[in-house]
Amino acid sequence: MLISPLMGLMVLLLLKEEQKFLIRAVSLVAAGISLGLAIFVFVAYDKSLGGLQFVEKYEMVKTFGIAYHVGVEGLNAPMLLLTGIVIFTGVLTMWELETRTKEFFIWILALVTGVFGVFMSYDMFMFFLFYEIAVVPMYILILVWGSTRKEYAAMKLTLYLMAGSGFIIPGILMLYAASGLNTFNMLALHGVHFSPWVQKAAFLLLFLGFGVLAAVWPFHTWSPVGHVAAPTAVSMLHAGVLMKLGSFAVLRVAMYLCPEGFHYWAQLMALLATVGIVYGVFVGLAQTDLKYVIGYSSVSHMGIVCLGLATGTVDGLNGSVFQMFAHGIMTALFFSSVGYIYDRTHTRDIHELGGFSKIMPVASAFFITAALCGAGVPGMASFWAELLVFIATVKVFPINGLLAIAALVVGALFALRVVQTTFFNTPNPKFEHFEDVSPFLGLPRMMLIATLVFFGIFPQTMVGMIKTAVIPFLQGM
Amino acid sequence: MNVMLFGPELYYLGAALVFFFLTLKRKPEPKADYQIAMALGLGGLLVTGLCLCQHGELFFKAYRVDLFSQIFKFALALGFFLVLTICHNLPQIAERDQAEFYLFLTTTTIGMMLLVSSVELLTIYVALELSSYSLYILVPLRRGDGIDVEAGIKYLLIGAVSSGVMLFGLSYLFGATGSTYLADILPKLPQLASSPIGLLGLLLALAGFFFKLSVFPFHFWAPDVYQGAANQVTTFIATASKAAAVALLLRLAILGAGYGYSFTKALVILSIISMTLGNLVAIIQRDFKRLLAYSSIAHAGYFLIGILTLKEAGYIAAIYYALAYLVMNFTVFMVINEVAKDGRDLKIQELAGLWRRSPLLSLSLIVGLFALAGVPPSIGFTGKLLLFTSAMSQGYFWLVLIGAVNGTISLYYYLRVIYCSYFTDDPNLGPITISTPIRFLNYALIAIVLGFGVFPDRIVELAKAAVKTVL
Repeated sequence: MLISPLMGLMVLLLLKEEQKFLIRAVSLVAAGISLGLAIFVFVAYDKSLGGLQFVEKYEMVKTFGIAYHVGVEGLNAPMLLLTGIVIFTGVLTMWELETRTKEFFIWILALVTGVFGVFMSYDMFMFFLFYEIAVVPMYILILVWGSTRKEYAAMKLTLYLMAGSGFIIPGILMLYAASGLNTFNMLALHGVHFSPWVQKAAFLLLFLGFGVLAAVWPFHTWSPVGHVAAPTAVSMLHAGVLMKLGSFAVLRVAMYLCPEGFHYWAQLMALLATVGIVYGVFVGLAQTDLKYVIGYSSVSHMGIVCLGLATGTVDGLNGSVFQMFAHGIMTALFFSSVGYIYDRTHTRDIHELGGFSKIMPVASAFFITAALCGAGVPGMASFWAELLVFIATVKVFPINGLLAIAALVVGALFALRVVQTTFFNTPNPKFEHFEDVSPFLGLPRMMLIATLVFFGIFPQTMVGMIKTAVIPFLQGM
Repeated sequence: MNVMLFGPELYYLGAALVFFFLTLKRKPEPKADYQIAMALGLGGLLVTGLCLCQHGELFFKAYRVDLFSQIFKFALALGFFLVLTICHNLPQIAERDQAEFYLFLTTTTIGMMLLVSSVELLTIYVALELSSYSLYILVPLRRGDGIDVEAGIKYLLIGAVSSGVMLFGLSYLFGATGSTYLADILPKLPQLASSPIGLLGLLLALAGFFFKLSVFPFHFWAPDVYQGAANQVTTFIATASKAAAVALLLRLAILGAGYGYSFTKALVILSIISMTLGNLVAIIQRDFKRLLAYSSIAHAGYFLIGILTLKEAGYIAAIYYALAYLVMNFTVFMVINEVAKDGRDLKIQELAGLWRRSPLLSLSLIVGLFALAGVPPSIGFTGKLLLFTSAMSQGYFWLVLIGAVNGTISLYYYLRVIYCSYFTDDPNLGPITISTPIRFLNYALIAIVLGFGVFPDRIVELAKAAVKTVL
């Protein structure tokens, strides 16, 4: 799965900029193979057996105990599936890109290689290595192919994330040094009982470091700006997958290795998450730029993920991972539809677009579906995810839970207003000559909707999968 | 005496003689000189490679040949050869001076090779001066507007002062112990470090190496010399010269580790100041070479991290990082050299539109800069992580935290360079043509920077074996 984007990347390096179709085709095939493998892993994973499957392990640096150690379990299988779907649809979405096509796909495949690597790695060194590979190409992707204030956004995003890494490195090394085992293997380090002080300090460092990428309030400010500036597929990958890296890493590294530290800081996590949810909803829906609306709604949805993690219960974690998946697909759909609209009209202003559904009914329908999903309408995947998180939260942190639910209800109200102003007002005559989405370009969006609905109707396929890992995970704490 | 033991040094001495005869020619023939230089450089690489596994002692035990010294000699030979590859045009150096240029480049290489093997104070001093004096001549060799002379004088003055200070310190060490052999001095370290004369002697003696490495507070020469010297000379100072200084400091640290140094606190402070100062000042630079000079000051701080841990893991990390630094820094300088074909000082803004003018060079630039900033999957990242790991194991938590934060700061100015080359464009600048050997050099460098970043095991094992031979 790692290999296929990498191979695609190599092939692309050899191609010439002029062979645009070939470049796209190669990228699509590479993404398609990843998607295929992700689906295969998801389906072939033996739920009754549980634990780590499809393991590969090679020693890399014996002196420092670094190994290439990947595997799949219930926690990361959904994430892999998510990444596969988003990159595949992302490549399809960028089919019309004309400027510096080759470089674009090279960087995006490099990014995806990193993402897959993070989700699968069980070695902290490799985990961090892939983490950075996933983060760094963003700078160039936004800088070259972005829009609206891209220079500012690209620099801000990169510096924020690298500052996060500045916390992560000491955190990781602290655990490495304190264990005395001379290994970066997370499974081995999990068995070590670190002293409370180490756990508290390391957890805080890791939580803050990874939290930056998960857009935990108050470190979220890079995220809406970055989303707005990034080109469509990058927004999709970024909001859909990259932000999940942050929350996934909090789960996989911070909580897994420092359970006591987690219990110590759980209150803080829940508080930050709740503030993020409420803040995201209110700020987001005061925006008039569609991408900003989505950007801030991501902040609030990622808050839900963190809230779920903070509960430290089976339901909470289940919901949290499920929410990562659902939100990933949902934002991808959001950005992909907004990207389509923006490419045609060159505006994302809510009022200017007014009554857009009369001009592009299909494109608008995509956006509306995503908005409904974001509001947590039953029958969509995120409904179940949010439900699980809130059930768990109300039990553990009643006040935070109620606040978050209230915020979401208000948020849903506002969301409907945005949809109404944007799509059901008097149409703007300027845009009347535009054609609607062609079936080919609509395909990636349809895939995303299908996924959302599928897991909305059969949530058990996903929850059952996640559960196989969550229960042992919590027992280990 | 086994000739093989002294093989690389003898070879380069021979090469220096060849260049010396070339300088005597009445009519300069730069093309022919360059071909001879390339052949000799390649041969040197081969000879050093063949002598890699030699070990023994020479000259009344003042000179020690082991895997450690041979690895660094190989690195020096590699640096020498790499610098030669970008000498195919030397616009900044007068045609009739070019043979001299090769001559002094060779003698400074010999000096550094002697340096990495020396285990006696006077030998160390002589070797250091041999390499320094050659560089004092190389720096003002540039044809130009006086900036070279300024750089040359600054380099000479600060170099001479630090040599004087170092000699003073060495005399104290000799006075306190009655010997000039490291093997005799280092066991007496505990009592030395507790007596004022010994401690003063040690710290003053270190000054000479800190000068080479441009550690704070001996860094003032770096920006001016980097900018004022010809691009090729700067490349050599920034790559090979750094590796030699690290090698000697490491040998001192390794030999003395068993006896304990009490001044690691001072090193921690120097390391932190070097990193922070270098990175912060680099932010405001406009000239690319000046920026790299400040980045080298920051990197000197990183090297110190590995050295001050006084543990095997730290030494391994420092060796790895020294080799990595040589390659990645060279990658960046190679790009400078190719873009500034006429040998001018490159402003960062002049990189505009590099992605269009030469995609390959812009890729090399990105890879090299990301490696310097410590972004994976590059040798720079792996090296930095190894350094931090070793420091953390010794409990230097704050040092690591500051180092990691410094990584973020440094990324800002490296990104500014990448921003210029990837994003801005200047329609007046035409495409850059690069010759086939340079094209392959580019591929090789990128492959090395990325390949050994992901699979560092070979180098780490080699470094480990090297450290073992010194112990």
